[in-house]
Amino acid sequence: MNRRELFGKLLGAGAAAVTASSLEAVITVPSYNGPPGGSRGSKLVAVMSGPFSTASDPAGVLNLTQIPQFVTYVRIQVHPGQHGKVALASSILFDYPNAADAAFAELWPNYDGSMDNGRSDTWIMQDVNWQNTINLADIYVYPEIWGETPLVTAYQLV
Amino acid sequence: MLVMSPSGGPVTVSGAPVPLLSRSWMVTKLTIKPKLGQWSKILVGGPDLLPDESNAIAVLYPVPDGGEADAFTVQDPNGQNSIDISQIYVYATIPGDTPLADSFYYRTV
Repeated sequence: MNRRELFGKLLGAGAAAVTASSLEAVITVPSYNGPPGGSRGSKLVAVMSGPFSTASDPAGVLNLTQIPQFVTYVRIQVHPGQHGKVALASSILFDYPNAADAAFAELWPNYDGSMDNGRSDTWIMQDVNWQNTINLADIYVYPEIWGETPLVTAYQLV
Repeated sequence: MLVMSPSGGPVTVSGAPVPLLSRSWMVTKLTIKPKLGQWSKILVGGPDLLPDESNAIAVLYPVPDGGEADAFTVQDPNGQNSIDISQIYVYATIPGDTPLADSFYYRTV
């Protein structure tokens, strides 16, 4: 079973028959954790930090949270010392036949620290108005090497 | 409620500069990066972008051996969907290469 089939099975529908818009509708659920989207609190709280494992998913593809959670800042970095690329995609893009090729971003490792003064690739998204608008459930992480653990930090204003 | 949604993916560039999208689509943040493992230099510009780097607003080098990748990023400082990605063109020096475009847009759900 490839990832597309797996994803279609998880959704309970054939992925080939699901358009992007209807796929979005299937994934969007009314409930969420924490403050609603668009809110802006006064206290910055880290709701995610440290290594993020996708190993609980057989295909090694996992969204940052299973239930929507809105944050104002998210940072994903290839874990220094690990060897694989890390692909990032939105839930919608996983309708593609090949999840890795549908990624909107790919981060490269820096396994021995020999490049760029040791910096590994990093992806950052921030709401410029410090509103909690970024849905962690919409961001899927796919380490090329199963079991590797990119570093994820997410801040929410509560 | 207001949310910021991701969109984007690989953009296939054949032999000439292409727009990121053929129809108008407004976003608040856009990032373009060479696809890792490919060897094209990536040119970013507007509709007047030419393959010889004329009018390029960014020239991105590929990443041959890991580390931090080159990227072009633009974001509306006021949090508005003000960037029309149909007006952003990309060109890859090796036909068939697929630079990655990553955009976020605000929407109300």
